[in-house]
Amino acid sequence: MATFIAIILSAVLTDNFITVKTYGICPFLGVSKKTSSAVGMGVAVTLVMLIATLVTFPVYWYVMKPLGIDFLEIIFFIFIIASIVQMLEKIIQKISPSLYNTMGIYLPLITTNCAVLGVTELFLNDLSLPGDIVLDSATMNLGWAALYALFAGIGFTLVMVIMSGMREKLNYYKTPKAISGFPIAMVTACFICMAFMVFKSITIGG
Amino acid sequence: MNLLEFGPQTGITIGIVAGIFAGVALLIGILILIVGKVFKVDVDEKITKILENLAGANCGGCGCSGCSGFAAKLADGSGNIADCHVTSPEKKAEIAKILGVELKDEERTVAVVKCLGSHENCGDKFDYNGNQTCAACASLLGGNKLCSFGCLGCGDCKGVCPDGAIKTENGVASIDPDICLSCGSCISACPKHIIDRIPASAPVYVACSSKCKGKDVISACKVGCIGCSMCAKACPHGAITMQDNLPVFDYTKCTGCLTCVSKCPRKIIIKRDVVAPESPKPLESGENTERSA
Repeated sequence: MATFIAIILSAVLTDNFITVKTYGICPFLGVSKKTSSAVGMGVAVTLVMLIATLVTFPVYWYVMKPLGIDFLEIIFFIFIIASIVQMLEKIIQKISPSLYNTMGIYLPLITTNCAVLGVTELFLNDLSLPGDIVLDSATMNLGWAALYALFAGIGFTLVMVIMSGMREKLNYYKTPKAISGFPIAMVTACFICMAFMVFKSITIGG
Repeated sequence: MNLLEFGPQTGITIGIVAGIFAGVALLIGILILIVGKVFKVDVDEKITKILENLAGANCGGCGCSGCSGFAAKLADGSGNIADCHVTSPEKKAEIAKILGVELKDEERTVAVVKCLGSHENCGDKFDYNGNQTCAACASLLGGNKLCSFGCLGCGDCKGVCPDGAIKTENGVASIDPDICLSCGSCISACPKHIIDRIPASAPVYVACSSKCKGKDVISACKVGCIGCSMCAKACPHGAITMQDNLPVFDYTKCTGCLTCVSKCPRKIIIKRDVVAPESPKPLESGENTERSA
């Protein structure tokens, strides 16, 4: 149970992919102008993170490691993630056109997103969580990996929504011309990241 | 088993790695091909043809998300070409031909601000010193005007107008009907929803949006509609009906006799200077880059 809580806390707050690890800055700044598109992007990233982990984790531990080609993981993972996203896009377009309309346009954008690659890379080495819990190669399994990936995506969506909400509010205000637009978005991002640093102090069971 | 044990020399190692990648790439390629075949979606070629003929302003005036959404709606028959106010009549005829429908003669429309509540006419509820945008002002108790349906005059509509047809004077916005292309950007930008479309040839319009009762209107604004329905009774053609304490015009019946203008005790039915029905230059599809920039 402690591991369960630690994984959720770590993935959503203490090691948030955007604000702490600074992965996925491209969609964070590019698709956060409107809350609706930020949610679409967040859901797409969550889905791809989960599916990518479910595929790459067994491929690494049961195929690449025994064959001695585990040093090729980055190239292999990019291969796998890009092809998964390609297939996913086609499948969603066929099965659910309405879902495709809200989410489909973001899928091609995340074929080589570093947040997705980052989450799949995370489970290849020891993973330390809040409360001095460490998932090493003996305790790590597909279930924990999938849980971490799912909540990493939820943490990603959370930050995207916070950022888009703040940027929408910024439209109410007239900013000086020199910093209006992208510069003020960078400043906003900076404050969100600083706020998330507070969660680093979270401990479990102390 | 370790694949790399087979080749002790570097050259052979690289060869093995390259072989692995070629194999995996082939496998994934075949997989994507199969998925693509199984989950094939037929794209209606009508949509691409319609999209070529639309103005491409992506203004959202039709209520769809951009021109491609509108094209899809037209293709499946749920959309109406008349909802696009930017595409030129010739291009619309082309689209009608693609769809195989008759294009009805429709009239050019213009947007009007249905409010005359300038600073002299409509007082302030409180002093507003916040950011000078209507959206921010309206989020604070619905704005600082005494009338809750009044124009806030901060010019959000002016900011979004692609043609520069809107000016704000003395706390109320007005739209130049000769420049307006009726794209609808201002209609969606106005937080008070007091901008509306009327036919360009309409002889009169009601310059008030207040749905309040007469007594409340009188206490708030010097030029607000009190809902007395004098115009509706006086109209000899039955073109005016009362709805939510406001007169609603049926412009197909209105002949421009101006009886309502003279009868209105608040003088808020405004006679428009309808000039020759010469339409302004509609947007050609080539110009849209300039407009969206």
